[in-house]
Amino acid sequence: MDRKEIQDRVVKIVCQVLKVDPATVKPDSNFIFDLGAESTQSVALVGAFEEEFKIELDGEAALSVQTVGDAVDFVGKYVK
Amino acid sequence: METAVVDADAVRTSAPSKDDPANLEALFYPQSIAVLGVTQTPGTVPYDIFYNILASGYQGVIYPVAPGKRSICSVRAYRYITDIDDQVDMAVIVFPASVVDKAVEQCGRKGVKGVIIISAGFREVGPEGVKREQRIKDLCRQYNIHLIGPNCLGLINTDPASRLNASFARKMPAQGRIAFLSQSGALCTAVLDYARGKGIGFSKFVSFGNKAGVTEIELMQYLHRDPQTDVILLYLEELRNGRALIEAARAITRGAGAKPILVIKSGRTPQGAHAAASHTGSLAAEDNICEAVFREAGIIRVPSIEELFNTAIMLTGQPMPKGRRLAIVTNAGGPGVMATDAAVSVGLELARLNEGTTRRLRDSLPATANIKNPVDVIGDARSDRYTAALDAVLADPGVDEVLVILTPQSMTNIEDIARAVVSIRGHCHDKLLSASFMGASDVNVGVDILQAAGIPHYILPEWACRAMANVEQVRRWMSQGNGQDPPLRVDAAAAAALLAACPEGYMREDHALAALQAYGLPVPEFKLCATADEAVAFADRIGYPATLRVVSPEVIHKSEVKGIALNLEGPQAVREAFARIQGNVKAALPQAKIMGMLVRRMIPAGHEVILGAKRDAVFGPTLMFGLGGIFVEIFKDVTFALAPLSSGTASRMLREVRAFQILDGARGQAKADIAGIEQALRRLGQLVHDFPRIAELDVNPLIVGPAQQGNAVADVRIRLAGQDQ
Repeated sequence: MDRKEIQDRVVKIVCQVLKVDPATVKPDSNFIFDLGAESTQSVALVGAFEEEFKIELDGEAALSVQTVGDAVDFVGKYVK
Repeated sequence: METAVVDADAVRTSAPSKDDPANLEALFYPQSIAVLGVTQTPGTVPYDIFYNILASGYQGVIYPVAPGKRSICSVRAYRYITDIDDQVDMAVIVFPASVVDKAVEQCGRKGVKGVIIISAGFREVGPEGVKREQRIKDLCRQYNIHLIGPNCLGLINTDPASRLNASFARKMPAQGRIAFLSQSGALCTAVLDYARGKGIGFSKFVSFGNKAGVTEIELMQYLHRDPQTDVILLYLEELRNGRALIEAARAITRGAGAKPILVIKSGRTPQGAHAAASHTGSLAAEDNICEAVFREAGIIRVPSIEELFNTAIMLTGQPMPKGRRLAIVTNAGGPGVMATDAAVSVGLELARLNEGTTRRLRDSLPATANIKNPVDVIGDARSDRYTAALDAVLADPGVDEVLVILTPQSMTNIEDIARAVVSIRGHCHDKLLSASFMGASDVNVGVDILQAAGIPHYILPEWACRAMANVEQVRRWMSQGNGQDPPLRVDAAAAAALLAACPEGYMREDHALAALQAYGLPVPEFKLCATADEAVAFADRIGYPATLRVVSPEVIHKSEVKGIALNLEGPQAVREAFARIQGNVKAALPQAKIMGMLVRRMIPAGHEVILGAKRDAVFGPTLMFGLGGIFVEIFKDVTFALAPLSSGTASRMLREVRAFQILDGARGQAKADIAGIEQALRRLGQLVHDFPRIAELDVNPLIVGPAQQGNAVADVRIRLAGQDQ
């Protein structure tokens, strides 16, 4: 899977879980500061990524990811 | 204490410029507030903070900043604070620690003047948190923002002009004249609940957490000028700048507009200090030095929340008594005696009622009543007897304060007696009146009447006595002047030359004595003699008996190498001792380089005291005084102060140790040269203050002679830090 596809699917998940307008989601958007993720939503995001990409993430490391771009990189390490 | 009616706006207008570090108007009286990081989940800190501001009746405008949310509590939300069109005076940040710096940066760009960071996850969590905290400190400095927190509960201002509850405390407290500042957030909620139960209100209430920006010092300075505040209460876990605290607190607690400061400083025990250090992520200073700092600052330290508020309610809306002479009016003999014991044990004086008062009491009370202090109006007393007794004792010029005790018998008309006390207080404006209606059920109706009228009430008379003792400390402190001592005449250049020649470590005894001499300490004449002939010649000149002490850089503990000879009665004894000591030292420490023997005349016996000094990492040079000799470690009868010392502090140090009575001529002994000890303490304080290289210094013992006959330094040890200090 190429990076573009991963990024599109990550953005889609982010918009679904955080209920934000796709236009507001940028690679450097901070989940908390820019997109308003609350702690329970962060956990939900990790679960949604796992389901979307059929992968199992390191939960603690996943929760420390700060931005959408970082999330794309992080998920990319798990996706074949 | 009684406060004149002041126009609040006028006072605030006269407050210093916005650049003044203590000008915290943007925090206490913001016209607009943004809460950054609000969520929509009730019961979470980010939501409750916003809700509390909204629900407290805040008089300004509030903006929730909640990215991704349209509104919070029906108030339009903003994605960023920079999206708000209007000016924002103050921001409350509840974002997680990882993005707080982004929020502060935006606040700075928005022109926000004050920020409260509620979020935890900074200095208290370790090195990563320390870095985060430094980043927000730097940003606040860059944008000239007053910062409270991080890691705090928030701030409350009950003044109707603001009515601000920017905290996650459950309820807005009642308005009152007590300000409370706390380093611990969780303690604040307990204190608020406690105060609510006791009917105690607050003027301002601040949890300052890690104090990365505004500290307790700026807060106290602000509250000094706050017309809503009569007394400042402080809960501290650590002191970081004792000297600045002393300077600020002295300006607050003395002079025009003086306000008392009461403190609870946790970490009294080593275990408690360790817990506090873990709690706040900082090292607690030694408790005895903190104690000294509070004394120097005029801050009254109390051991418990109970005593803190027991004292505070006596310092708000009550007249300051003119002295410590207490009269007790009771309907119960036993509690009267208990109160007497308690009063005397905390340093109050039982007032001696004059003849006119006893006559009035005799005329108005039954024959079985006790008309001496404590005045016992007898168990069946009703309000008329209380009124008569209180009128009489309050009119007595030998009475400064009155405690009313009541126990509830079947005929005791509790409500009427409470009303009588309230009525009497209405026409007695110069004496402190407090009450103890003892019990927890029947008496409550009377207690409510007393408390509603602002009369300090205590369940136990002992508590009232402790509070009165604290008020007496406040009174004494406020009545003392801020007199300046003339400078001490010392030869600083001579001491500097001596120290410059000495490497790191212990100074040679002759050098250490010479340094003390340069600062005017009573050092008996001495000479370092390289040969026995030289020693005899010097001893012949100063007189016998003489003493010899080996001087060698390698010898720290002279007695361990048998390097001392005392009571040498003539030249032959000096000569023999010289050779004997040389032999002893060579046998014990063959590598030791012997510079010679320090020759002195034997100092006559006298009381032995210790004068010590130590450079504390937090407070700088500190001094210790106590009874000296070999038992100093056992009795621990010592006291501390920060150097340099005023004459008043030196005098107080002497009088604080139990052994002072011995020096003061207990059991018919001659009085010691107390003035000489005070001088020596002040000169020693000046020495360690002037030379930061002095890491530790012990004069042990100083032999104390009879009054006006002088004292003598018998032994001194000075440890120097490196030259770069």
